[in-house]
Amino acid sequence: MAKVFTGRDGRLLLDGVDQVKVTNWTLTGNLETLETTSLGDYQRSYTSGVQEFNGSATLLYYTDDADRNDAATVLKKILRTGSVSDTDTVDMRLRLVEGSVNRDVRLSAFITSVNLNASVGEVSSAQISFQATGALTSVTL
Amino acid sequence: MTFPALNPTSRQFSPGDWPVKTYKAQSGAEVRILYGNRRTEMKLELTYDNITDTQANQFLTHFDSVLGTFQTFVLSSAAKIGWGSTASSIDVSTGANWRYASEPQITAIRPGISSVRVNLIGVL
Repeated sequence: MAKVFTGRDGRLLLDGVDQVKVTNWTLTGNLETLETTSLGDYQRSYTSGVQEFNGSATLLYYTDDADRNDAATVLKKILRTGSVSDTDTVDMRLRLVEGSVNRDVRLSAFITSVNLNASVGEVSSAQISFQATGALTSVTL
Repeated sequence: MTFPALNPTSRQFSPGDWPVKTYKAQSGAEVRILYGNRRTEMKLELTYDNITDTQANQFLTHFDSVLGTFQTFVLSSAAKIGWGSTASSIDVSTGANWRYASEPQITAIRPGISSVRVNLIGVL
């Protein structure tokens, strides 16, 4: 059955926890190309280089009745008094839901930037950027 | 073993010169003596970007086979590909041959892919 995905189908899981108040996420995959054009060629040719995955997301800064704050987990990856180590990656799953089927891209990433804001007349939110490290863990698109 | 028959990504050729010695008097007069009848010390820099490690290894093997900078060899026609004029113009002069001016430089780009830079000099 045909299905058009919308933001309503989007989910973001951090370390296996479904983040409730996410307003958007983006994922970008890049492939570096290495030029192999040689003298005598009339068209440029390329071979594959290394891949890169990064993206961003916006989480509302929000606490529920149980004092749970979705955004805090990732914010603390950078907003902390101590230093960041190689183990401070997050297991991210960028998901589009189709009924009982989850279409996931799963990766391990560093949170590379956090932009936490509070404005008059607006809900406080946190924009985060992430940089994947290594290959994608799984892809079930 | 012959020089690897691979098409370079870039080529820089310098034609060298005849063996001339110049003497200059205090008056400014110049005397030049020609010590040979053949051009020598042509220089050729070949770059092979993003080739496979197997292809890059051909240069190491060839460098070994000619005992590094010791022995001379003939270039493959692939090294001159893309030159639209007389092929011999960018080769050594008659009676000369190429040898390595320095060891091949290999830069690893990603697993399985490397770039190679080769510097040659034409000698009699």
